[in-house]
Amino acid sequence: MNIRTEFFLFILALGCASLACRFCGFWIMRFVDITPRVEAALKATPVAVMVGLVVPAALRGGAVEWAGIVVSGIAMKLTNNDLLAAVIGVAVVAVGRSLQLAG
Amino acid sequence: MRRGALAARPLGVGVLVYGMAFGLLAREAQISLSEALLMSGLVFSGSAQLVAVSAMGGGQVPMGAAALAIVGTILLLNARYVLYGAALRPWLGGLPGWKAYPTLAVLGDGNWMLSMKAQSEGEEDAGFVFGSGFAMFIPWLVGTWLGSEARTLVQNPAVLALDFLLVAFSVAMCVGMFRGRGDLKIVVAAAVASVVADQFLISGSAILCAGIAGAVVAWFSFLDKDRPGPVPEMDTPR
Repeated sequence: MNIRTEFFLFILALGCASLACRFCGFWIMRFVDITPRVEAALKATPVAVMVGLVVPAALRGGAVEWAGIVVSGIAMKLTNNDLLAAVIGVAVVAVGRSLQLAG
Repeated sequence: MRRGALAARPLGVGVLVYGMAFGLLAREAQISLSEALLMSGLVFSGSAQLVAVSAMGGGQVPMGAAALAIVGTILLLNARYVLYGAALRPWLGGLPGWKAYPTLAVLGDGNWMLSMKAQSEGEEDAGFVFGSGFAMFIPWLVGTWLGSEARTLVQNPAVLALDFLLVAFSVAMCVGMFRGRGDLKIVVAAAVASVVADQFLISGSAILCAGIAGAVVAWFSFLDKDRPGPVPEMDTPR
């Protein structure tokens, strides 16, 4: 066990920052009345977050990543199984990247 | 709890490899195995840990202002968890604190999405959220350990494309959760917000800005939607 004291204090600070983010949204909502309108806003967040995760990745990615995104979407339409569709998308990107490396 | 853990298994593979990448980088920054494990256990946030490690080039621990700057970056990077926690309030709000807060402590992007989707499909057991989060926490620690110990295990992780897993998973879930025209404005608002945030703010803020944009649009367009009934009732079974 070799843990430097200053490193321990450093990660303790990071851990507190990380936990504060995890806890405070949930805690604040304690004081907010969950009206149907608030619930509708909260229910909209997953799809919005997913879009926020995919769009920058698409902008940064190349043809391989675009293909992976399109294939995942189509696979989801066909199979209606999100994990299977994700694995198929990852496989497309993995094959594409190996081909790029080889070529 | 079991259902959540089982549902998160494929994501656990991605987390394992991500943890290995962190372990490798931590070792290069002269962080010992026990230090790396402690960090993964306490912080449990890939982006935050990578920022901290990249600030430790010569093995120096940042002190004072440098440390504060990193804490500030982490607050920004992880601000999306504020949103995730808020969205879980209607579901986990009825739990005692000793159950709700540990659930939030092991929350991650992937298991939050899984949980929100499970909830929209009728899952009621709040243990689902903890189970799926815990199923990511363990591979994160194991990955950290493997990466820190065996630096040649994965020579080029990019070829496995597991960094793409969360993106592909989001695409699939987004297609699966899309409920027609009412959701279109949410998607458009989120896309615009994420592009703006990605271009002009730090990269981790795109998710947060997209989430807020989606929530705001849903809030303002609520009246346009069909109300659930004359008396809006939260726990109406669907």
